[in-house]
Amino acid sequence: MADYFSLFAKYLPLLLKGLQNTIIIAIGGVILGTILGIVLCILSISKNVILQKIANFYVTIVRGIPLMILALFLYFGVIKNALPVLTSAIIILGINASAFIAEIFRAGILAIDPGQMEAARSLGMSYFQAMGKIILPQAFKIMIPSLMNQFIAALKDTSILSAISVTELTMSAKTIIARTYKAFELYSFALIIYVVVITTLTFISKKIEQKLSYDKR
Amino acid sequence: MGKIVEVSHLKKSFGDLEVLKDITFDVEEGEVVCLIGPSGSGKSTLLRCLNRLEEKQGGTINILGENLDCVKNLNAFRQSIGMVFQHFNLFPNYTVLENMTIAPTMLKGIKKEDARQMAEKLLDRVGLLDKKNVYPVTLSGGQKQRVAIARALCMQPKVMLFDEPTSALDPEMVGEVLDVMKQLAKEGMTMIVVTHEMGFARDVANRIIFMDDGLIVEEAPPQEMFKNPKTERCKNFLESVL
Repeated sequence: MADYFSLFAKYLPLLLKGLQNTIIIAIGGVILGTILGIVLCILSISKNVILQKIANFYVTIVRGIPLMILALFLYFGVIKNALPVLTSAIIILGINASAFIAEIFRAGILAIDPGQMEAARSLGMSYFQAMGKIILPQAFKIMIPSLMNQFIAALKDTSILSAISVTELTMSAKTIIARTYKAFELYSFALIIYVVVITTLTFISKKIEQKLSYDKR
Repeated sequence: MGKIVEVSHLKKSFGDLEVLKDITFDVEEGEVVCLIGPSGSGKSTLLRCLNRLEEKQGGTINILGENLDCVKNLNAFRQSIGMVFQHFNLFPNYTVLENMTIAPTMLKGIKKEDARQMAEKLLDRVGLLDKKNVYPVTLSGGQKQRVAIARALCMQPKVMLFDEPTSALDPEMVGEVLDVMKQLAKEGMTMIVVTHEMGFARDVANRIIFMDDGLIVEEAPPQEMFKNPKTERCKNFLESVL
């Protein structure tokens, strides 16, 4: 047992370095995914049928591809050596998340009573003014739990990106195991770190949700 | 007195369903016109066509002397047409005062302070000045609708459209909203009101338009319509609601 803890202490700095990359990839991926997702969402709620079809096609395809194969295909098949591996990982995760985030935005906006848009338009606001000032602030509150979920999912998904050898948490553990053969210990360390980080995030997201509900006012 | 609203041969369909078949009527400045008729007769759709929340399929609509099809800036034009909805549609993420000042400050370039003063004056008129800093969720239905009316007035419209303003209210709250509307009518506001409140129509309207099945069946001052409706359909409707 003492061995276990001393191993933990010994490799914690290396694992935390991996965790740092994990968090960078997750945050970067979700930010990129949000930007792409908003664009997709605007396309899919527009009245132009062709734009809708393009957005639907993209979402369907991306949702249908397992992250592992998306990563392998994009990194070894498309990007090759054109970009650093960390940037590639962010792009891959961003593309993967964008399809889901687009749906979250769409659902959030559609959940707002159409009367809100009508009231804003009847006062003389343009479509975009009404969206920005009236609809999106309300939709955002509805979306926050789902967006937090998406972020947590993205954080877990980063472990799959060890397939392209980006040194995130899982990859760090793997590398150490290759030297020491201590699979049980190192994977359990990684596992514990994932659980601690994700539980903390879940707790924070619950707090944010409570703070933002209208009933509290 | 000029004509504020002129509608001729207005047609509107949703898919195969013809909701408005051939509607022609005028509203003079300062007039209060009530639209009555059974559900599904097209009253609300007609009202929503007047500020182009619905796009018509045929006919012409002139508002304040301008052809609605030729209006260059629809958003600016809508500022002069106030609308009050059945379900109030207050913005839940803003306080009562913000609900009222957001459009004037954003669209008319009115200073925040001036907009606030105007909003407070209007809130006082509808008897809700003490509620200015609360969020709509804490208001009763009647209070919400009074705020919604004040919000529309804050844009200083030339004509007000009311889409069944009391239909979603508990019975004891109908009176407070109708009182505000009565006062508004007395002050000379041009109003078009879709309503099931026959008492209000009788007391306040200058003219009542009875619609059925996408057509105007009868059009008369209230005393005349309530005493001797000319058509059988109108008579049956009035008998069933009075």
